Amino acid sequence: MRKLGVVFKREYLERVRSKWFLVGTLLGPLFFAMITVVPTWISMRQRPGNDLTNIVILDATGTGLGARVSKILGTRYPSVPAPEAKTLSPERLSVAEDSAVNAVVRKEINGFFVLDSNTVANRYVRYVGRNAGSISDVDALMSTVRQQVLAQRLEREGLDAARVTALTGDRLETRKERIGDKGREKGGGLGNLAFAYLVAFLLYFMIVLYGQQILRGVMEEKTTRVAEVVVSSVSTDTLLAGKVLGVGLVAVTQVVSWVGLSLGMLFYLAPILFGKMAPEAGAAAAAARGLPTDAITAALPTLGTSGIIFAYFVLGFIFYASLFAAVGAMVSSQEDVQQASMPVMLMLISSVIFMGPILTNPGSPLARIMSLIPFSAPILMPLRMSLIGVPWYELTISLGGVALACVAAIWISARIYRVGLLMYGKRPSFKELARWVRYAG
Amino acid sequence: MTDLAIDIRNVVKRYAEHVAVRDLSLAVPRGSVYGLLGPNGAGKTTTIRMILNIILPDSGSIQLLGKSNRDSGVTDRIGYLPEERGLYKKMQVRRVLKFLAELKGVDGAEAEKRINYWMEHFELKTAEKDWGLSKIDELSRGMQQKVQFIGTLIHDPDLVILDEPFSGLDPINAQALKDTVVQLKERGKTVIFSTHLMDNAERLCDSVCIIAHGDKVLDGAVADVKREAGTRVVALSVAGEARDAIAPILADRSLVSRADDQNRYYEIELATGADAQVLLQRVIATGAPILRFELVQPSLHQIFLERVGAKGVEEGMSGQG
Repeated sequence: MRKLGVVFKREYLERVRSKWFLVGTLLGPLFFAMITVVPTWISMRQRPGNDLTNIVILDATGTGLGARVSKILGTRYPSVPAPEAKTLSPERLSVAEDSAVNAVVRKEINGFFVLDSNTVANRYVRYVGRNAGSISDVDALMSTVRQQVLAQRLEREGLDAARVTALTGDRLETRKERIGDKGREKGGGLGNLAFAYLVAFLLYFMIVLYGQQILRGVMEEKTTRVAEVVVSSVSTDTLLAGKVLGVGLVAVTQVVSWVGLSLGMLFYLAPILFGKMAPEAGAAAAAARGLPTDAITAALPTLGTSGIIFAYFVLGFIFYASLFAAVGAMVSSQEDVQQASMPVMLMLISSVIFMGPILTNPGSPLARIMSLIPFSAPILMPLRMSLIGVPWYELTISLGGVALACVAAIWISARIYRVGLLMYGKRPSFKELARWVRYAG
Repeated sequence: MTDLAIDIRNVVKRYAEHVAVRDLSLAVPRGSVYGLLGPNGAGKTTTIRMILNIILPDSGSIQLLGKSNRDSGVTDRIGYLPEERGLYKKMQVRRVLKFLAELKGVDGAEAEKRINYWMEHFELKTAEKDWGLSKIDELSRGMQQKVQFIGTLIHDPDLVILDEPFSGLDPINAQALKDTVVQLKERGKTVIFSTHLMDNAERLCDSVCIIAHGDKVLDGAVADVKREAGTRVVALSVAGEARDAIAPILADRSLVSRADDQNRYYEIELATGADAQVLLQRVIATGAPILRFELVQPSLHQIFLERVGAKGVEEGMSGQG
């Protein structure tokens, strides 16, 4: 136990003292800020921009629908001029379309709507443009068109125009609320999605980063032959445990510093970024500008959830770290590392591949299966449970599976480590590895 | 309490392809300097690793200082210098030494004190420069070896195990190592080292064990080993121009079983039943001017060659240091 402490202390202190740890700790929050705040900031600037409404509306309906749509788009995005609505007869439509296409080609406009008898008959609207492939752009425009077609139909049925505007003018938004095992929970919005993504990404990132540090550390001990001196004083099991725990704590230290620094930045820098005001006023201003502060606080997990996420991190880290350590003990040269660590990396990468599908559909059978498989559960279950309520029995099975996998990984790795650490030369084949595991009793 | 520092009984270690150590028994008395001799690949390193419980023997028992070598209390009383040297390259010298000391149960403050003593002893800390604050990879090879040696002794072990300690040492460091071994012995410590350099072994060791191909060839106190080998060896030196004249005598197998040309003299092993006086008369008869004719005890090197034979020397035995 004392020796475990000595090994643990060395692994921890040598890493925390290094230049790279300091640089990584300081730059981490900046990096995360870059990948989260900057895109948000850019999109905030851009959304009402002339990109979206720099279009032409070709109105061959003869009902003035084009002018209505143009007017509404103009009020919705007041910072840019309303799109031009051209009223024309159906016969001249194809000519007008040709010239509009030319205008798009010359980059004068982004695209154009074609409103004709089909639109009035509630069949379809055509949008032609450079951004026709962008679902969000077309949706934003279409909601206005749809609203106006409806308004026009209501007016034609005899409703008062002012009343129609009042009735259809509201923009309805969804406020989601999650229900878990204990009833209503906070969150469920966009903030949740971002948080879930951040957690899963961070888990993956830390496991890869620090798992590889363990691999390199073991390889260094092996190739510099320090290992022999050390294992003459401590058992390989103690050495392995001290290493995994020491490096694990470095990872935790790093994340805690990141969170601390990020929160500090949020409170002291955000007001500066979003207007030079006192913190409270800054938050209010940020909220006024549509920053989802509510969503952010709502997305923060409860204590219990945080505990479970932490448990997944600890178990997942131990699982992958001991496998990485075994790989480090297997190889004697840098060239072999890539190939030898491939199986472990494949398990990690396959978890990440499923992040997208699970993010969009966290309740699907795929999501359930992947969050139960021990090697992907440590990354995908925290992702899933940040999005939806996961039944306790699934959590239990998943965590239990990861714990079992952990024990198995430690058992196998400790054996490979014990033999491999003092074996130099060629990378072992699977057959040899199997023999190591068997005979290292 | 037993008076044996190391008590190995019937130890066997097999690998998939070959037997590394075959039924080896060794008894190393406390307070002695013990040499484990043998050509490369004889099983010395395997034996040492088994002593240190780094690898497990297939059968047999190993006791150190009267206890099983798996006893963690025993592990802390052993200092080990492996054949392949190595330290954490990016770590500060003092921190490496402190780590090694703490692994052996020396507490921090005491470790600092000892590091200071040893750093000064080996001139790694002088008025001009304290290498203790440098990283390992900023040190020269010679200095790194000193650091490694300090790491072996930092916890004041009762049993010091050195695997090929002289390989790669320059003459000054080699002398420092020999001095330290003698000091350790004077303080009642037991030192066991492996080497294939017979000269060093002969000068330093109280007792030796010669192994080859995993088998023990002989063991015992150096004086006994040499006495048993008998005074069948003659050192003969003649003036340079007469060397050709005595060649036929040396080739006479009824008189000389082997003549080892040491350049300045011949180390001659008499054939069984041959008389040294007859040899002397024959040499005088040639008229060669004799510079030296001496009945000597055989050197360990001689004994080693005789007992292990040419077959033991095949795998890169690098001679007689």
